[in-house]
Amino acid sequence: MKKVKAQFNINDEKASLFIGPNRTLLEVLREDLDLIGAKEGCGEGVCGSCTVLMDGAPVRSCLTLALEASGREILTVEGLAEENGFSAEGGLDPLQEAFIEHGAVQCGFCAPGMLMSAKGLLLADPMPDENKIRRAISGNICRCTGYAKIVDAISSVAEKNRG
Amino acid sequence: MRLPEFEYLAPKNLDEALDILDAHGPDCLVLAGGTDILVRMKNRLATPEYLLSLKSADMLSYIRQKEERLEIGAGTTLSEIKESEKTRPFAALLQAVSSVGAVSIQHSRGTVGGNLCQDARCLYYNQSDFWRSAKQKCHKAGGRICYARDESDRCNATFQSDMAPALIASGARVVIIKKGGRRFISLADLYSSRGEAPISLEPEEILSEVRLPVRGKGFGSAYKKLSYRSAIDYPVASAGVSVMVENGSVKGAEIVIGAISRAPLRLLQAAGMLCGKSAGDRAAIRDAAEKSMDLASAFAVDNVGASLEYRIKMIPILVKRAIDAAILNARQ
Repeated sequence: MKKVKAQFNINDEKASLFIGPNRTLLEVLREDLDLIGAKEGCGEGVCGSCTVLMDGAPVRSCLTLALEASGREILTVEGLAEENGFSAEGGLDPLQEAFIEHGAVQCGFCAPGMLMSAKGLLLADPMPDENKIRRAISGNICRCTGYAKIVDAISSVAEKNRG
Repeated sequence: MRLPEFEYLAPKNLDEALDILDAHGPDCLVLAGGTDILVRMKNRLATPEYLLSLKSADMLSYIRQKEERLEIGAGTTLSEIKESEKTRPFAALLQAVSSVGAVSIQHSRGTVGGNLCQDARCLYYNQSDFWRSAKQKCHKAGGRICYARDESDRCNATFQSDMAPALIASGARVVIIKKGGRRFISLADLYSSRGEAPISLEPEEILSEVRLPVRGKGFGSAYKKLSYRSAIDYPVASAGVSVMVENGSVKGAEIVIGAISRAPLRLLQAAGMLCGKSAGDRAAIRDAAEKSMDLASAFAVDNVGASLEYRIKMIPILVKRAIDAAILNARQ
């Protein structure tokens, strides 16, 4: 199996790699690029912990071939803070601040996926109601929190966007 | 889980893609959104030599409004279908699309063609290579036994597409193309009823377009899905219904049951019980729903989770709700 050259645009940074065609985007992110935010919870697209944004829309990186992602804009949880001009003082994305403030993170395994699904939602609709929020994260499983605080956190950002 | 090795082909246009399929036939599988095939490959249920990517030039991605029909390219994603103005009159289509998996799994990657051409499923088949290594191969895996139905001489894998029953009920036809040719069939005829190979496509063929007839005033449709959770899961039973209502009476109807058999079940006899009756005839609706259960239960196999008894009991409920929703939709 020949390795192929692929160009990636991840968190606004370009990366060029030689990879086998059977590598998934998740593998490349975690193993080749040290971006370990996205997690492999199931490997088959049903848990959501591998969710990243591709051209602004949430996708399962475990079910996306890395070669399919080449030439597209990928945003991972590591890129959230940078979007707002990351500074040493902790310039986090409003979503990340809200998650912290509302206690929406327990073990943290689902958090990157949750944040990316939420980010995808807010990019398309900055002021979603609770129903829309629940729909948007319906593909992300959380075993710890019972979802309530996650929904609260995302709602608070939607509320801020209203004001 | 790692994918097996394969060669990745990314043709620049449809003609190139058809050439490749023609040349490699059964050794080459199509990669659209990847949410079905990549999972199967991780489980070693499919190990093609080549994967043909449709990503270039947004191949087959379009929604075209013609006078008598809506044409949807097979490569159109679920979100594109949800967001388009042109799909508004097709309630069953929109309800089915929204019910597929979840927004962050499929909707921006999954395609209508992929959903319609997904493989049939079974609890005993859709497992990892390791899990299956403990048992001898079943019919679908090339062996000679069925774990879902004792003593069965054939595969009983269930066809669980959400869009298929909704679209069949809406009168969908499809365009199938290959190098040097094309054919047109009703969507219902795409399904072979063979669990081993549920989709009637030759190795060099590809589904290219779905066509929905525009029915105009009085047409209503709906799709009801029974599943464990409100997202992520496949249906364990579903009903796609359409009605044509004129002057308060039902002139035509379709009832299609999904996730109960090896193909969507188009129940002409049950749908016929609504025809000629008033749209408000509760007894007729109840009869059609009960008839649907009688007809569909013969096919049901216990291989998708949820007890067989429960799934069968829910068929008339789903049908009744879908009929009510379709009639309401017809009034709008």
